[in-house]
Amino acid sequence: MDKAMIELLARRAGLTKALAEFPEDVTAAATQAANVVEKIKQPIDPAAEPWPPMRAGTGL
Amino acid sequence: MRDGPLTELHWLGVAEAAKAIAEKDLSPVELMKALLDRIATLDPKLNAFIRLDGEAAMQAAKAAEAEATAGRLRGKLHGVPVGIKDIINVAGLPTTGHSKILQGNLASADAVCVEKLRGAGAIVMGKLSTHEFAIGGPSFDLPWPPARNPWNTGHHPGGSSSGSGSGVSAGLFPMALGSDTGGSVRNPASCCGIVGLKPTYGLVSRRGVFPLSFTLDHIGPMTRTVADNAMMLEVIAGHDPHDPGSAAVPNGHYAAGVERSVRDLRVGFIRHFHEIDVPAEPEVTAALEHVARTLQLEGAEVRDVHLPTLGEFGAVNRVILQSEAWAIHGPWLRERPGDYGQLARRRLMAGAFFSAGDYVQAQRRRLEMIAEVEAALRDVDVLLCASSMDPACRIDRPADLERTYPRQARTPFNVTGHPALAMMAGLSQDGLPLSVQFVGRYFDEATLFQVARAWEQASGVDRKHPPIV
Repeated sequence: MDKAMIELLARRAGLTKALAEFPEDVTAAATQAANVVEKIKQPIDPAAEPWPPMRAGTGL
Repeated sequence: MRDGPLTELHWLGVAEAAKAIAEKDLSPVELMKALLDRIATLDPKLNAFIRLDGEAAMQAAKAAEAEATAGRLRGKLHGVPVGIKDIINVAGLPTTGHSKILQGNLASADAVCVEKLRGAGAIVMGKLSTHEFAIGGPSFDLPWPPARNPWNTGHHPGGSSSGSGSGVSAGLFPMALGSDTGGSVRNPASCCGIVGLKPTYGLVSRRGVFPLSFTLDHIGPMTRTVADNAMMLEVIAGHDPHDPGSAAVPNGHYAAGVERSVRDLRVGFIRHFHEIDVPAEPEVTAALEHVARTLQLEGAEVRDVHLPTLGEFGAVNRVILQSEAWAIHGPWLRERPGDYGQLARRRLMAGAFFSAGDYVQAQRRRLEMIAEVEAALRDVDVLLCASSMDPACRIDRPADLERTYPRQARTPFNVTGHPALAMMAGLSQDGLPLSVQFVGRYFDEATLFQVARAWEQASGVDRKHPPIV
């Protein structure tokens, strides 16, 4: 993720203040996120559901 | 109540202390005084406490003594002291999360797990150090210093339930509550050589606990022995209709079966975690093999089991954890980023950079991973694997902390929600605890305790205490 993209995403997330005061931390956070996503295998089955499933009638 | 000491009072376990108090062989006041004296001596080196509530604890001990003398015991933990991680509410005390963000955040009511402990007669001693909001640490830029490892105070005690691990191990209190979202009960248990359980997801209510990640958070008992852990779980487990994640299962009886033989139990050894995925230090590998051989000698059948890689489990945990944590911390990170320590700020802000699609894909992969662990547990009764791949590193070397922190096998079972227990597997050549992890079927903590106790009894790890005086 390049610097411009990081800044764009940070501003979109409302991290303007963090970007001004802690730019290295914002870059480190963005880099952590980018590195981790690519390690996850995408489910092959289009019908693979997320966990936890929606279950009607089990709310509080 | 008695003339001479039973043993050194600070090494009395939960069951021993409760029994001695119930039989009027031990005064709760005498026990509390011994522990407060020890805290006064050792805690300046350990920093296990953020806030010691000694006066209230002593008053409660006096009330417990009067009740015991009158033959009125509140429950199975009558008069037994407990420490509480400082993300868990204790009425009348601040819940700070070890953070400037929540300084002065006074709790108006006990968390459900604390309420249950008090209902059973336990006495709250105070609030314990944690990594900031159970994610950022060990940090030296927070209002309180990080906890230290009693086996060597220059070393990290593990986290995030750092004060819980440090204090139980050092004999400041016989039991503590921790929380575990990516391994935060089991890491300090591993580093400090005690027993830490992450129960099945939903077995212990999270109500009154400051959240880190809704679908990964667990509350767990931390003790010096397996039997004490089972006893503590019996008290804190149970359905809470006001916790959306709470499981509607009957209360288990965990302590009664801990001494059962492991003969003919099937143990699945996940060797690839520490041999291939994240190669462990040779001392850790040798300790794990020793645990497996010991269980075989006790009559268990040990066979190899394969699961998805640690790298992928860790990534799924991270995406879910940081996305959910961002939903909680986003408003403060936008307005008050400077009030977080650097480690928490970096880790919590990462959640801002995941897309909704990243989160949903991680949750979809999670369900597949759950199915894979469930399939493995159809062929064996319990899984055996590494907890930490290294002994605790020094607390003052950020590069070592950065390197060793991800070298663990705990996050898989936050992702899947299976119960997992970490405990001592021996000592390193440098005298630091090595660890092992046992994993069970959903709500089958009883078998987990049974296997853990077999190892504990055969090895005598429960009799090893840190050299700190």
